[in-house]
Amino acid sequence: MKRALRWVILRIETAFGAVFGPRLNPIVQLGTLGWFLFWIVTVSGIYVYVFFDTGVLQAWQSLERLSREQWYLGGLMRSLHRYASDALVVVVFVHLLREFALDRMRGNRWFPWVTGVPLLWFMYACGITGYWLVWDQLAQFVAVATTEWIDSIGIFAEPIARNFLDSERLSGRFFTLVIYMHIALPLLMLLFMWVHIQRHAHARVNPPRELAIGTLAALVALSFAWPAMSQPPANLDRVPFVIGFDWFYLAVYPLLERIDGAVLWLVLVGGSTVLVLLPWLPPLRKAPPARIDLANCNGCARCFADCPFGAINMVQRSDGMAFEQEARVVASQCMSCGICVGACPTATPFRRAGPLSAGIELPDRSIAGLNVEVIAATAKLTGSTRVLVIGCGHDAGSQQLADGETAVVGLPCVGMLPPSFLDFVLARRYADGVLLSGCAAHDCYERLGDEWVEQRIASQRDPNLRARVPRERVAVAWNNPVQGRRLRESLAQFREHLRGLGPAAAAAMQQADAGRPSAAWRARLRELAPPLRWSGQGAAYVALMAGIAFFATQPSYTYLADDRALLKLSFSHAGQPLKPCRRYTHEELTSTPFSERRATSCERGRWPVYVEFDLDGRPIYRGTHEPAGLWNDGPSTVYARFEVPAGRHRLAARLRDNGASRGFTAVAERTIDLRPGENFVVDFHVAEGGFQFGLPTQDTAGGEAP
Amino acid sequence: MTLFDWQANFAIGVDEVDHEHRELIALINSLHAALGEERAGERVEAFLGEIFADISAHFALEERVMRERRYDAFTSHKADHERLLDQLRDMMDAQADGSALDDVRLGAQLAEWFAGHFRTHDARLHHHLAR
Repeated sequence: MKRALRWVILRIETAFGAVFGPRLNPIVQLGTLGWFLFWIVTVSGIYVYVFFDTGVLQAWQSLERLSREQWYLGGLMRSLHRYASDALVVVVFVHLLREFALDRMRGNRWFPWVTGVPLLWFMYACGITGYWLVWDQLAQFVAVATTEWIDSIGIFAEPIARNFLDSERLSGRFFTLVIYMHIALPLLMLLFMWVHIQRHAHARVNPPRELAIGTLAALVALSFAWPAMSQPPANLDRVPFVIGFDWFYLAVYPLLERIDGAVLWLVLVGGSTVLVLLPWLPPLRKAPPARIDLANCNGCARCFADCPFGAINMVQRSDGMAFEQEARVVASQCMSCGICVGACPTATPFRRAGPLSAGIELPDRSIAGLNVEVIAATAKLTGSTRVLVIGCGHDAGSQQLADGETAVVGLPCVGMLPPSFLDFVLARRYADGVLLSGCAAHDCYERLGDEWVEQRIASQRDPNLRARVPRERVAVAWNNPVQGRRLRESLAQFREHLRGLGPAAAAAMQQADAGRPSAAWRARLRELAPPLRWSGQGAAYVALMAGIAFFATQPSYTYLADDRALLKLSFSHAGQPLKPCRRYTHEELTSTPFSERRATSCERGRWPVYVEFDLDGRPIYRGTHEPAGLWNDGPSTVYARFEVPAGRHRLAARLRDNGASRGFTAVAERTIDLRPGENFVVDFHVAEGGFQFGLPTQDTAGGEAP
Repeated sequence: MTLFDWQANFAIGVDEVDHEHRELIALINSLHAALGEERAGERVEAFLGEIFADISAHFALEERVMRERRYDAFTSHKADHERLLDQLRDMMDAQADGSALDDVRLGAQLAEWFAGHFRTHDARLHHHLAR
């Protein structure tokens, strides 16, 4: 399954690469795109917040005003805020799937993987609290469903869903809490995003400018074409029938109508736990980590500068030599890619007084061994266009290229090859050309291999390829594993090109005297014509934006059929004490210190509350509710919701709070007329004479909040 | 007989760099001593390879020091490093091809090569670091 997913993702990536080009390929820029979207959401959110009225009744109106009167900026910002958040969900999930499919979460990469899991939770919490703040019908649904869902864990003494029971009890304070969460959570996200990339040296943070501009322009265009608007304002006394639904953030909510909230929590927490454990299922079997040979290390720090995983530290010299520092490998963070070996100035293939040995080496892939292998592999080559291919384990199958005039040597990463090997192979005429075959450009499995190789060959990074080495005999080919044909095509073209150059002459004679060293040679591969590429890019943006706009509200969710109403039985009532209080006797009082004397002695425990609720003579609820609190001295709370047909109903409610085996403390009956979509609450207050049916005055629907 | 002696004015004032300068001089001297011995060709090639590896590492360290201390003439100093390494590589190829200079001139060229670099670029670096 993982292999199939990998294939699909690589195909999509290849298609996007053809349209956007390797540098702007959005599929390899998902992380940076996510970061960019986060900032669009943040900036637009700050703007919207300036005009947002945080009162529970003014919130909807203030946003409506912003969208209508200030559509050109306020409305734009609001739409950007919503659509960029939705795009973030898409980007994050493709990012996650891709890193999983390409097996980029094991070894040292467990760190960004694991720190990404809380980011998922924060992202969802941000989205959910965001929809809450609009206080429209969707917000109402989100508020009730979320609080009921949280209550299913049973950690609060009183169900927080009671805050949203009806307009009478709507709590502005809880609403304020949601606003604080909506501001605090992005800050947490920011912190975790920073932690997320801590173990990546030279982490790519910002997307390429063209991609950022394209994304922003597409979001702006969508915002004007289809502005994000509120749904009708919330009214807790009415239940919305059909709600426009943002499936990016709220997809799990419809499940709550079918499965128990606690089960859904278990599924999500369990799923997250599996995600967290995934890097070790099974653990990466990696080659032994790089090892420092102090005799060859003077502390020049080039390996430290090039390690993509921050696995090398420069520490104080430990062997008494005159040097200040030495490199030290953090074994647990080393991915054994060998890029450090490619950076070490002592990693040269030329014969030395002693055995070949570099300052930093991979125990399984020594410089001396590589030297022997290169010489042996090229010795069998014949013809005038002998090519040595240096491949990596994640390229487009370089191992299959070997033939009479092509030798292949595999490395963990092409970034492991010290540039002096290229000099060596060409100067000593072991081959007429060298082709470096690695992962797709800008998407090296070891993160930075292709980048360092290109820079070393172009003399932009040390150790550079000596100016005397003819660049026209050094080719690079960057392909992902499904681009085997492109790799073969590159090799064929390179060979043709070498045929034109003639056999390798003594390198010294070819020394490029004039001009700076140029970059490596590369094949001219078939590319889409520019008009096709641009229209392809346009189509990609349009498709993504259309998808976002559609699923941000469609398909709408039918919360309640239009001939039904909701009945809620909910109250908070303290059962009677287990034992009645009794007065202290005179003797007891006189034996008690004066300051501790009280008139009565009361046991703290209370009886549970037993409730019965009947609809039209049928029992629909029977429940015993234990008192809250560590000492069982708190109130017992009830929260139950029933969907019933609209129309006339006879309700009967009975309650027992004294531990008796039969009989009731309170009994009430009422005939009510439920309108379609009505939210009817049955409450209980001793002070107000027991069971309360509906609001004190039914005509204050949508009334003032407390 | 040594070809080339360490001189106090070679010191640039960074212990680790001066230490490597001394080592390189010792290496060039032993190369010089090897010249004229039996099977000199192979040994000379190995010595040149040794010098190449050591000097590459030495330049890497010296460039690090220059970068960290924001040395103003870094570019020209580094260019001289590259020039020296290219010349050394030419000598190595010539040696491997059997088209080498005669041994005495090889040693003399190497010694001159270093002394020249020490006197000019490294001396300027020394003044810069001492400021």
